[in-house]
Amino acid sequence: MGGSPASQPPAIVVDGLCKEYGRVRAVDGVSFQVRRGEIYALLGPNGAGKTSTVEILEGHRRRSGGSVRVLGFDPGAGDRRFRERVGIVLQSGGIDAELTVREMVSLYAGLYARPRDAAQTIEQVGLTAQRRAKARTLSGGQMRRLDLALALIGDPDVLFLDEPTTGFDPSARRDAWDMIAGLRRSGTTVLLTSHYLDEVQRLADRVGVMSHGHLLEESTPDALGGRDVSGTVISFRLPEQLRASEIPAGPWDRREDLPSEFTMHTDEPTRVLLALTQWAAGHGVELPGLTAVRPSLEDVYLRITGQAGVGAGDDH
Amino acid sequence: MTTEAARRSRPPAVLALGQVRYQLVVLLRSPLGLFLSIVFPLLLLVCLQVVTPARPVGGLPYAQWLTPAMCAFCLLNACYMTVVIGIVLAREEGILKRLRGTPLPAWTYLAGRSGSAFVTSVIAFGVIIATGVAFFKVSMIWHALGYFGAAAFLGIVCFFLLGAAVTTVVPKSETALPIAFGTMLPLAFISGVFFAVNRPPVWLHDLAAAFPVAPITWAMEDSFKPGTHSWPMPVSGLLVVLGWSAAAIVVIALAFRWEPGPAPAARGLGRSRPWLKRWHRGS
Repeated sequence: MGGSPASQPPAIVVDGLCKEYGRVRAVDGVSFQVRRGEIYALLGPNGAGKTSTVEILEGHRRRSGGSVRVLGFDPGAGDRRFRERVGIVLQSGGIDAELTVREMVSLYAGLYARPRDAAQTIEQVGLTAQRRAKARTLSGGQMRRLDLALALIGDPDVLFLDEPTTGFDPSARRDAWDMIAGLRRSGTTVLLTSHYLDEVQRLADRVGVMSHGHLLEESTPDALGGRDVSGTVISFRLPEQLRASEIPAGPWDRREDLPSEFTMHTDEPTRVLLALTQWAAGHGVELPGLTAVRPSLEDVYLRITGQAGVGAGDDH
Repeated sequence: MTTEAARRSRPPAVLALGQVRYQLVVLLRSPLGLFLSIVFPLLLLVCLQVVTPARPVGGLPYAQWLTPAMCAFCLLNACYMTVVIGIVLAREEGILKRLRGTPLPAWTYLAGRSGSAFVTSVIAFGVIIATGVAFFKVSMIWHALGYFGAAAFLGIVCFFLLGAAVTTVVPKSETALPIAFGTMLPLAFISGVFFAVNRPPVWLHDLAAAFPVAPITWAMEDSFKPGTHSWPMPVSGLLVVLGWSAAAIVVIALAFRWEPGPAPAARGLGRSRPWLKRWHRGS
């Protein structure tokens, strides 16, 4: 968390947000709040309504219903004071190919009341060596860094990042993650969208899972889908000295192909493990292959979005 | 976190001047913009003068007519062609959308564009008139220079507004050039930009007079005749120019768009305008 006082009002408040395109409801009654200094991720497959939600919060699109406040402003009202305080990283584009990095950043610095230092911002996104290069000569990853520099140059209180690493190679993605994580230290509130689970796990303080225009679940990445407590799989092999009928905290499942291996799905891993290990230690034996594994974020995510009947489609 | 008081936005006039500078830099680095606005009209001036040197127009040397005509052609290029192509490219590349997310007021972007068109036009006039005077014995009609400036200024405003309005019907980058040329060239031909239209059929004259290119071009050409001692644009011509400008402002206010893509209303941008939505679907 960015360490802002809890007494401060949330940076972003979304309440019952709806967005319709013709007869299609891209966003259907979404509500969530983002605290100041927090990194909040909207996670979901293509077509879930993430981009529509973010673009409404950015002021790029009008909502069909519900209410939205960013730093106390209605983004749809087009207030300049609102746009002084937000930074937007678009999914792609928006850069003059014939201008240099330095010129682009200075141009955008000139639009804000109290911009950050251009050279310092270029340094922060790691483009100092390319500052005199025209934008058209930059690689895809460098272009996104320039993107980020343009979003940061106004020294925003809230930063919107729409799929910030889509199309990145793994090393460029790690660089981008480091940059975004660095924003946390400056106290910037960040709302990002992503369909990468590892990205959300790495960056976000909290995550909202969207599918088909609904916000299905909201939690920390670690606790998503009750992942921190439920559905832990414990397994071990039974040593020859011990008898299967005496294993505590049962019932245990026995694998047909490996009769000495026992497994259990439990919502109480601590209690089960304690009983199991005490029993084994009491007999003075080790339990070979003892593991307690939580389901992966991917398992949980597929379960959550699968319940909503995920289908293919373009992102709105 | 910043208090709101610490963020007093920059004055719009300063932002608009910054946009003029930005647009000029972009123009200088784009071969097409520079070619259309300055090189092309200059090339035409020289070529047309060389191939038809001895033909007088209305009792005056050919170059005396051709020089202001080429200035009018500059206006069409700098304020219409370049504006249509430049705005559509900027929109389709997402540049307008990005700017829309900053504190830059919408009108200052258009002010920057028109300011850059103005500066380009003045430079192009200088180059063309200087060439005409230096090499083709064009005489400056100093007492009518104010009329020339006023007519050209009307042209800058009107052609710029029309260019910005036309972008609303250009669906994608690839169609910007054909639509800009396809609308500008026929009008330029019938309005006496490339050659003096001698006793045209009445319908052709009336057709030309219904569009703003003709009154502006004719007024600029007349301002280079020694006999011109009063404002060379008839009231009807002025009304045509102002009427088209007003119509363009309405179109810009209703339909100018900042996002890429052909169907803005259908994507939920701007106010709900079902008629526009239907029209875009139909096109």
